[in-house]
Amino acid sequence: MLKINTKTGLSSLIIFTVLLLAWVAGFSSRLFAVIRFESIIHEFDPWFNYRATAYMVENGFYKFLNWFDERAWYPLGRIVGGTVYPGLMITSGSIHYILHLLNIDIHIRDICVFLAPVFSGLTAISTYLLTKELWSAGAGLFAACFIAIVPGYISRSVAGSYDNEGIAIFALQFTYFLWLKSVKTGSIFWACMTALSYFYMVSAWGGYVFIINLIPLHVFVLLLMGRYSNRLFTSYTTFYILGLLLSMQIPFVGFQPIRTSEHMAASGVFALIIAVAALKYLQTMLSKSEFKSLFIVGALVAAAVVFLAVVVLTYAGYIAPWSGRFYSLWDTGYAKIHIPIIASVSEHQPTTWFSFFFDLHVLVTTFPAGLWYCIKNINDERVFVVLYALSAVYFAGVMVRLMLTLTPVVCMLSGVAFSVLLDLFLREEDTHRSGDSDVDDEQTTSSNRRLYDKAGRVPKMKHEQVRESDGIGANIRSIIIVVMLLLLMLFAVHCTWVTSNAYSSPSIVLASYGNDGSRQILDDFREAYYWLSQNTDDNARVMSWWDYGYQIAGMANRTTLVDNNTWNNSHIALVGKAMSSNESAAYDIMTSLDVDYVLVIFGGVIGYSGDDINKFLWMVRIAEGEHPKDIREGDYFTEHGEFRVDSEGSPTLLNCLMYKLSYYRFGELKLDYRSPSGFDRTRGAVIGNKDFTLTYLEEAYTTEHWLVRIYRVKKPHEFNRPRIPFSNRVVKSQSFISKKNTKRKKGTIKNKPVIVKGKKLLKQA
Amino acid sequence: MLKLIIIAFLFTNFHTKTTNGAIINKNVERVIDLSTQLVKISSAITLENTGKDAESKYIITLEPNSIRNLSFISAKDSYKEELKVTETKNELGQVFSVKLNHPLAASRTSTINVEFVLTNSLVPYPSSIVQKDKQLVRYFGNHYFYSPYLTTKQTTSVIVNTRSIENYSKLKPVSQSDSSITYGPYNDVAALTVDPMIVHFENNAPFLSVTRLERLIEVSHWGNIAVEENIDILHTGAKLKGSFSRYDYQRDTSNNHHSIKSYKTILPAAAHSVYYRDSNGNISTSQVRARKDWIELELRPRYPLFGGWRSSYMLGYSVPSYQYLYKGVNNQYALRMRLIDNVFDDMHVEYLETSVVLPVGVTNVKLSTPYEVERLSDSIAYKYLDTKGRPIIRFAKRNLVEQHIQDLEITYEWQPLLLLHEPVLLSIALYLLFIVVIIYVRLDFSISKPEHVKTQ
Repeated sequence: MLKINTKTGLSSLIIFTVLLLAWVAGFSSRLFAVIRFESIIHEFDPWFNYRATAYMVENGFYKFLNWFDERAWYPLGRIVGGTVYPGLMITSGSIHYILHLLNIDIHIRDICVFLAPVFSGLTAISTYLLTKELWSAGAGLFAACFIAIVPGYISRSVAGSYDNEGIAIFALQFTYFLWLKSVKTGSIFWACMTALSYFYMVSAWGGYVFIINLIPLHVFVLLLMGRYSNRLFTSYTTFYILGLLLSMQIPFVGFQPIRTSEHMAASGVFALIIAVAALKYLQTMLSKSEFKSLFIVGALVAAAVVFLAVVVLTYAGYIAPWSGRFYSLWDTGYAKIHIPIIASVSEHQPTTWFSFFFDLHVLVTTFPAGLWYCIKNINDERVFVVLYALSAVYFAGVMVRLMLTLTPVVCMLSGVAFSVLLDLFLREEDTHRSGDSDVDDEQTTSSNRRLYDKAGRVPKMKHEQVRESDGIGANIRSIIIVVMLLLLMLFAVHCTWVTSNAYSSPSIVLASYGNDGSRQILDDFREAYYWLSQNTDDNARVMSWWDYGYQIAGMANRTTLVDNNTWNNSHIALVGKAMSSNESAAYDIMTSLDVDYVLVIFGGVIGYSGDDINKFLWMVRIAEGEHPKDIREGDYFTEHGEFRVDSEGSPTLLNCLMYKLSYYRFGELKLDYRSPSGFDRTRGAVIGNKDFTLTYLEEAYTTEHWLVRIYRVKKPHEFNRPRIPFSNRVVKSQSFISKKNTKRKKGTIKNKPVIVKGKKLLKQA
Repeated sequence: MLKLIIIAFLFTNFHTKTTNGAIINKNVERVIDLSTQLVKISSAITLENTGKDAESKYIITLEPNSIRNLSFISAKDSYKEELKVTETKNELGQVFSVKLNHPLAASRTSTINVEFVLTNSLVPYPSSIVQKDKQLVRYFGNHYFYSPYLTTKQTTSVIVNTRSIENYSKLKPVSQSDSSITYGPYNDVAALTVDPMIVHFENNAPFLSVTRLERLIEVSHWGNIAVEENIDILHTGAKLKGSFSRYDYQRDTSNNHHSIKSYKTILPAAAHSVYYRDSNGNISTSQVRARKDWIELELRPRYPLFGGWRSSYMLGYSVPSYQYLYKGVNNQYALRMRLIDNVFDDMHVEYLETSVVLPVGVTNVKLSTPYEVERLSDSIAYKYLDTKGRPIIRFAKRNLVEQHIQDLEITYEWQPLLLLHEPVLLSIALYLLFIVVIIYVRLDFSISKPEHVKTQ
């Protein structure tokens, strides 16, 4: 008894230590940005989340739910409380609240910055638990270590990247763990916990749709495989009803779970499992032949009724058809044609092979091995992970962004693969002789040694039994172990390298390195935003492309027209139209939108490639989508179909507002004495239209490296109207000759309708 | 003009009774320094007691229209010893009476030096200029030394530090040299005579004022004093008209420009962990240079400041407490620190609010300041794991300049044992946590054994 106790004590100590180290490693490898730069919120969306969190902390939760942000989407405004997943804000807000109860007055910004790294540790733990449910504790530890440092997840959870995904991956993994637990035990307790965890996920990220489709899919596949059990019935029905009710509590989600097609699979499966349960119950009462006919009729009727109901409800408008973003998951070309705004986001592009390796490194090769083991030793839980893996692989291939959902399952299955390999090669000779020694060979046997694998033991196949005869020598064992450790080491090195080089830039502070290795910080974004916040009127309205909307609201605290919450395509198109029209046409749009300042990003001086001229074609495309009469993409290309800013460029481009605002007085600037004046470093060309003045706008501020340029829109009385030659300066008046004379004393009224008695007065068009 | 003098005479006749008419200003040499954004007037006054009794009080005052701009006044005798200046009100309005260290015997002479610092007295004219223009300002003053006594002989020199003087009032005799204008000597000017002086000249010195300065001093008996200053600055020079062109700004390399690119702040020599940030995070354009007796901090706001532009930032640092905190008998402690510290040379602070956070559990707190301040109500701050708050002593003052950089003193009583309060609290909390965990792990709380365990 004592012996067992010390053994379990030791193993739990090891588990605890490894998880703790994984947490620490995951946390600290996400701190590159904080150490290199400072504790600051990164990029675009996190700025909104931060602003919303700060608002919530300041004004309380109910004020936040009712928050109407009049500083966004001028003049429409945005109901923030109802259009946001509040989980993130509530999480950091409650951490802030608890710390302040203990009088630790840490600033909310620091909580927001460090939230994702802290949650990465929780993700590691929940991945451990999930993998342990699937396979073994050893595999779980591997998976936890992998997910702690894998770049595919780090890319969304470095310190400062305060975004929904940071906490959602934890919620996702934890929900899946609880789901497997409840399927295994069939206990209502675990199913309720699953629903609660699902509720947290719904409140945190739009990706909850993945859960509400994957779990029903799991149930459905289990039913198809004939693996129906009362445990499954209990856990799914409990989870579905509770999860449905809970998810509808989030204002942004509202009635979507019962009204949109994305959620219909779950309710269909719910109906199905009840039908199956009913049939199973009837089966106990009826004879075989009776049951058979009943089954066929019943199944057909049920299927038809469900299908018809969904179709009818969809047509009647009770159920919304799939949204555009959802379609683009199935048809990668869909967005490009129909919704340019979705296609214009780089993270919605299809994934390249390169990024699979870049984000997952060796795991991408070991993950199929783990999948193979799971398929070979199938049981209820492993069906789940197989489905998880397959669907995640598909989605990751469609969108770069969904690499994030693939990463956890890759870590888990790689953990399984590594654990099996270690089991095989670290085990002493005497226990069992097993097969092929090649690491890369996916068919490495796992044999039936796993005694804890209760369900679904697969009988051995023939070819494996043949191989089993030759043993593994000590040398081969050690070589393979060394090779494996080497791979793991390379993986760790790669992860650190990728994190440090690719994912740790705050992107609002740029750093450039001189030839001598000295670092120069380009702080132009904050320079411009701070200038806006301090030196413009508090109610000034700033027009910029939507990418910068959240940052302007967060850092400059000024009203914006469009922002990264791209809910209103036509408003964005209007801004795009203003940017791509000539100055006077743009002025009309800008006055109609009450614009006071225009902000453009211009990288030509320092060679920053993400500037507005490079994004310009998307503005044109989006504008064209709504205003095809005024804006045509073809006008912005040369005759040869090129997009050029030099003197060959199309005259429409050289005279549009965006061009003028980017290059105003740039033609005079000589960057160095070798290049001619007006040389754009980003596009490597001398600009085509150098000498022009602005009539309706004036330069208000340009940052040190010209990265951000802010213009003030003049009021109508301020700009010089075009000069009219003296001879043309006559006040036009409609000549009117009085018809009054001595005989006719009665005057006439001009344009007076002629009234004929008995006839209705016609409206004049 | 004549009218003014007559009125002044009338006033003089009326008021000579209130001031001690026996004193006359035998000779006044006045220097008006207009080279910065402040107006610094220093006057060397030779007094003579024409009466019979010894006099120990001398009244100084300022023109009614400039007294509201007065920020600082001091008087020294010929041995450079500080004389006590008290502010009083009489029929002349606000006056300052100087107590002479040695009473002036009859028909003896003595010299005192009086220094005034005025703020907001240089008015940009034109009030808004375009980027490439020069900044011109006007000074409205008095040709004569304004005094409740008769002045026998006086000269005034106005230092402008520039050769481009647009215009100045010419009350003869007057002469202009390289960088200054000399008025006088004028003889036998009656008391309280005003004759308006106008100087219109180019001044490209930084016109930067601190509109609000919140200084927070946090005392910790663990050996550290943290200082944090929240500073709002405003360029009070001529406003920028029209557009700001980065291209022109980059081409104009002359230092003599009305915009402000950077300035220097002086910190105590022992300052460490300096940070310079604003609401958007660290401002990456600053440099710290350690000098022998101080630390020089070159601060560059995020953007160059033009007329009418504002900015704000937060500057913080820590100093070791042994340099500022003194221990007396019976757990008595005294904190001597600067009430306001240097922000930039020739600074002008419109509003200062200083808060001093004292350690937990102090009693018997006494504040003494070198000059009068407005005491605000005390409040309480809760810091890391405090169960009992820390008292904050707060006070405010308007219109300050460099000369106000002086020490305040706070004395209080405090038990050193209180230092262990929080570590003990933390240990107990952790101890309890572990006990709870131990109990939870050892006991089985489930009502019945789960099904899957039973079946095994």
